[in-house]
Amino acid sequence: MDVVIQIIASGLTLGAMYAVATVGLSLVYGSLNMLNMAHGALLTLGGYMCYAAITHLGFHPIFGLVAAALVCALAGLAIYVFATLPLLRAENFETNIFIATIGIGAVIESLMLKSFGPYPIPQPLAVSGSVVIGNVHIPLQNIMILLTALVAMAAVALLLQKTRAGRAIRATSMSRDAAQLMGVRVGQIYAQVLALSGGLAAISGVMISSIATLTPVMGGDPMLKAFIICIVAGLGNVYGAVLAAIVLGLLEAATQYVLGVRWSFATLLLLVILVLIWRPYGLFGRQQVVRL
Amino acid sequence: MAEPILQLKGVKSGYAGRLVLQGADFVAGKGELTAVIGPNGHGKSTLLKTISGIVRVSEGEISLKGKRLDTLRPDQVVAEGVIHVPQGDLLFPGMTIYENLMMGAYLTREAGSVAERLERVFTLLPKLKDRRNQVAGTLSGGERRMCGIGRGLMAGGEFLMLDEPSLGLAPIVIDQIYEVIFDLRHAGMSILLVEENAERIMDQADSIHLLDNGRFAWTGKGAELMARPEIVEAYLGA
Repeated sequence: MDVVIQIIASGLTLGAMYAVATVGLSLVYGSLNMLNMAHGALLTLGGYMCYAAITHLGFHPIFGLVAAALVCALAGLAIYVFATLPLLRAENFETNIFIATIGIGAVIESLMLKSFGPYPIPQPLAVSGSVVIGNVHIPLQNIMILLTALVAMAAVALLLQKTRAGRAIRATSMSRDAAQLMGVRVGQIYAQVLALSGGLAAISGVMISSIATLTPVMGGDPMLKAFIICIVAGLGNVYGAVLAAIVLGLLEAATQYVLGVRWSFATLLLLVILVLIWRPYGLFGRQQVVRL
Repeated sequence: MAEPILQLKGVKSGYAGRLVLQGADFVAGKGELTAVIGPNGHGKSTLLKTISGIVRVSEGEISLKGKRLDTLRPDQVVAEGVIHVPQGDLLFPGMTIYENLMMGAYLTREAGSVAERLERVFTLLPKLKDRRNQVAGTLSGGERRMCGIGRGLMAGGEFLMLDEPSLGLAPIVIDQIYEVIFDLRHAGMSILLVEENAERIMDQADSIHLLDNGRFAWTGKGAELMARPEIVEAYLGA
């Protein structure tokens, strides 16, 4: 019983972090057909910005998180202005932006390496203490991560479902031409989505580095997992991505306990292969059926 | 002819490397039902996409009541009062009918006029009211078409463009859709209608324009078209 509680607790924490990382990736793919390979680097940027704001600028931890989110939102905006916008005008946008964002990611990671050095740094945004359930000690840090993720997810859901801007984002991802014919200025929507995705990446990066440590390459692993989650859920499906992230987090925690840590990534990959054989468009992917 | 509302002068436009409209001259009258007919693949849909700014004009000019449209972005064209109900509806499949209609009124910020238009759309297309909470992806063809037209009307524009509203529908449903279109026209709306099936609109349209190979080859009234069986036969295969 204690083992189950332990697995659920760490699985939910993992899942929550993955969910925040994945939603940004999924939103960007859903509305622009753009695989943002710099997403992992934005995560890293967010982690370091939070660290720098708290340690060097003396920000309160909460404002450190907010500052990190703002910087990464601006970075997302910069990606839109300097990479997405020019490439959208040319052909083969999907391939070009894929390659361009790999480059942007490398630049951001190198900047972090240059500014903060290669050695792991602890994330100062941390809470100590734990809650005891049964015989299991659950660190408050994990609970804080879960709550932060829930708040972030709820805010995104509210934005998408209830606001005029959110409705326009959803409309653009369903049909770009139709959204334009409704008077939606799609360029603005793209910029908003990339900024939002950057902000979410920062939150996710801060959470991940608060459990692990800050390193210039810390974004790689969560981004890979975010891609896996996106594909399992169906690319561009935001709500499916949240669900898939939590399920995969739980699965990862269970695999780590039952089979050992080294099997957890292999299990994830096996799962993707099986899902893609069974449902190539992902678990919640859109399989377009047009009735006349 | 009534005073012109939309005017095209020598408009050329197309897709990457292929010109579709090759110098189209065209006038639509205010408060009139203007029909564009012609065979498949000769630029009828491109004409509407060019007017709404989705396809860029490479030469020539388009104006609405004297104001240039060809330099504007699609969202600015909508703001000028041009509504384009695209071929195949292009509804937002994951949204309900209500949300689709609300997207139609995206540029209108006054809640009062949105509510007023919604009431009008529901009066004109009562089926939409009954199904307002149904997701658009699950509608039948006729319902989708109605939702598409209703969504267009929610914009509150004065120039309505409809791309093949009868496409893929059962004859009885086509009759219902055309009833709605003719109602709108009698209510004073200026309508530009693209239709492959010329007979359906012949006696109602104020003017008919035949689009052939990216240019307008013939313009006249329905009765005049009937008097020219060779045109009907050559272009429309009737």
